[in-house]
Amino acid sequence: MKTKWFSWLSHPESLLSCLTLVMLGWIYKEDPTFLQWEVQKELSTHIWETALMALPMTLIILTGGIDLSIGSTMSLCAITAGMLHQHGVPLPMGCLAAALVGLAGGWFNGWFITRLKVHPLIITLATMAAFRGIAEGVSQARPLSGFPKSFTWLGQASWLGIPLAGWLFLGCLALCAWIMHGHRLGRYIHAIGYNEVATRYSGIRVNRILLGLYCLSGLSASIAAILFMARRNTAKADIGAGVELGVITAVVMGGVSIFGGRGSLFGVCLGLVLIHETREFVSWHWSRDELNLLALGSLLILSVVFQQLLGHKRSS
Amino acid sequence: MKDGFQGLRLGKWMLGLLKQRAAGLFCFTFLALGLVSLINPAFLAWGNLRDIAVQAAPVCIISCGLMLVLVLGEIDISVGSMMGVLAASMGAMVSATRWGLSPWIAVILTLILGTLMGALNGWLIAYLRVPSIMVTLGMLTALRGVTEVIMGGTWITDLPPGIRYLGTGSWMGLPICLWVCAGVIVLSTWLIHRTPLGRRIFAIGSQPRAAHLAGLPIQRVKFLVFAWTGFLTALATLVSVPQLSVVDSGIGVGMELLVVTCVVVGGTSVSGGTGHLSGVVFAVLLMTMISTLLIFMKLGENATYWSRAIQGLFILGAILLDHLVRSKKSS
Repeated sequence: MKTKWFSWLSHPESLLSCLTLVMLGWIYKEDPTFLQWEVQKELSTHIWETALMALPMTLIILTGGIDLSIGSTMSLCAITAGMLHQHGVPLPMGCLAAALVGLAGGWFNGWFITRLKVHPLIITLATMAAFRGIAEGVSQARPLSGFPKSFTWLGQASWLGIPLAGWLFLGCLALCAWIMHGHRLGRYIHAIGYNEVATRYSGIRVNRILLGLYCLSGLSASIAAILFMARRNTAKADIGAGVELGVITAVVMGGVSIFGGRGSLFGVCLGLVLIHETREFVSWHWSRDELNLLALGSLLILSVVFQQLLGHKRSS
Repeated sequence: MKDGFQGLRLGKWMLGLLKQRAAGLFCFTFLALGLVSLINPAFLAWGNLRDIAVQAAPVCIISCGLMLVLVLGEIDISVGSMMGVLAASMGAMVSATRWGLSPWIAVILTLILGTLMGALNGWLIAYLRVPSIMVTLGMLTALRGVTEVIMGGTWITDLPPGIRYLGTGSWMGLPICLWVCAGVIVLSTWLIHRTPLGRRIFAIGSQPRAAHLAGLPIQRVKFLVFAWTGFLTALATLVSVPQLSVVDSGIGVGMELLVVTCVVVGGTSVSGGTGHLSGVVFAVLLMTMISTLLIFMKLGENATYWSRAIQGLFILGAILLDHLVRSKKSS
């Protein structure tokens, strides 16, 4: 009985649910107004971009890879759309171009990883500098704004009490859940994370799957960039700086093993809720953004340490 | 037949040059220098060259440590935020309105603090076996938060002359930071080529499993290398931050990327096991020169915004070059 109890507890998802409940309870005790629906709805606008990018990141980390360049891809996409808009191209075309740039950025990463066998960490670290550098060079680090009302409406509109970006995320989540649980692709992704070589020898097109995943990551970054522009009505080369940290923290906190092969979308959603509430509550309650950085960084380290200790216990 | 032979020899010679990353970078650096001084002879003025060297010195000091980290097959992207914390704490220690310690004690405490932060990284990575990218990514953010907490939203503007001397003083005609940098390079060369620890670092990086079976203390070596990187970061902070009279909370932002770029462009393999200090030193010179080069090439002020893109392209080029050399070697 005791061992059964322990094995239930050692699932990252159940542990995370307990942690989330405890934290929400503590927040309720400290400051009940924070948990009101109106406040939460207002604050939730901050998380959707991170959440959207966390989905492909989950799949990538499940295969044992990582993508550090999403923040820079965001800035490159935003600058693409913004510059095109400034030169008189209609905004829908600009957004389409931004999506293509995002796809191309992801494809570039994926090409290096699958063809040249470069470690994902290194190539995405390189493109992290290169993409933002190009965005800075093209835009001369100037902010671009003056988007039409119909575009900024995208950032404010909501349906049934949930912002449009939220619906977009829920749709993508459903799609990802179907891929992971109802399609063989999900099995393949897990298999690549467990043992890439064995998967390759089983006749599964590993390279094609990986290339697709990195393209998807780039595409999600471009969508996030468009949502960000619609919300803030501005595009600048420094948007998305450090956003990869929030995304990776959420995924790793959600119990996805950084070595690949283990993890679930449900856990990632819990991780997103946890870091979102932590971040927002810290800014709300103490109104000091620097504590936020401290909290987020420590959360990442603690969750990885915890995962590591738990993993050892489970295997021994 | 003879032509084919000649072509083969030429190819081999080129390949040899590619492998000698230091030689290639040396040629490239001097080519760039020559080109720019043709366009604008003012570039070769002693003052300008000294400014470039002073700019490169802290990057070089940290790169010496980070190279060993990469040789081990690990990575450390927290050095920039570490610099921020160290600069803030050093400023707070010596500032008369805060703690007002004597510069000597502040210097020693800063070095100890840097070593401790590096050791914390090393402990998590070596003994708790947490992947280095996760630990240092977390540190990158958390330590930036610590910096903001220490600074408390203000700037420190009253650095006493004792500590300013470290940044502005010179000895035998050369700024102090250049002496420190030279000392670190000599020490690192000695460490790599003349001590068992240096051998062990390369052994662990190139074949972790074999090193483990041979009974090498992998955990201790990793721990020491990360602590050493922390120490060098503190050293770099001490000689670079007092060059200006103001300490703000943005010190060291982006430093980690610059240092990793330098080390990778300098020919250190990212999968561990190989690396040459000379290549890294030339890469540091080249990378820190980029923005100055862009200014002196008279391309207009717009050109300086491209410096980060050029930095990124260099690291991409280094990765491609690495791939070419590897695929040639295996065929």
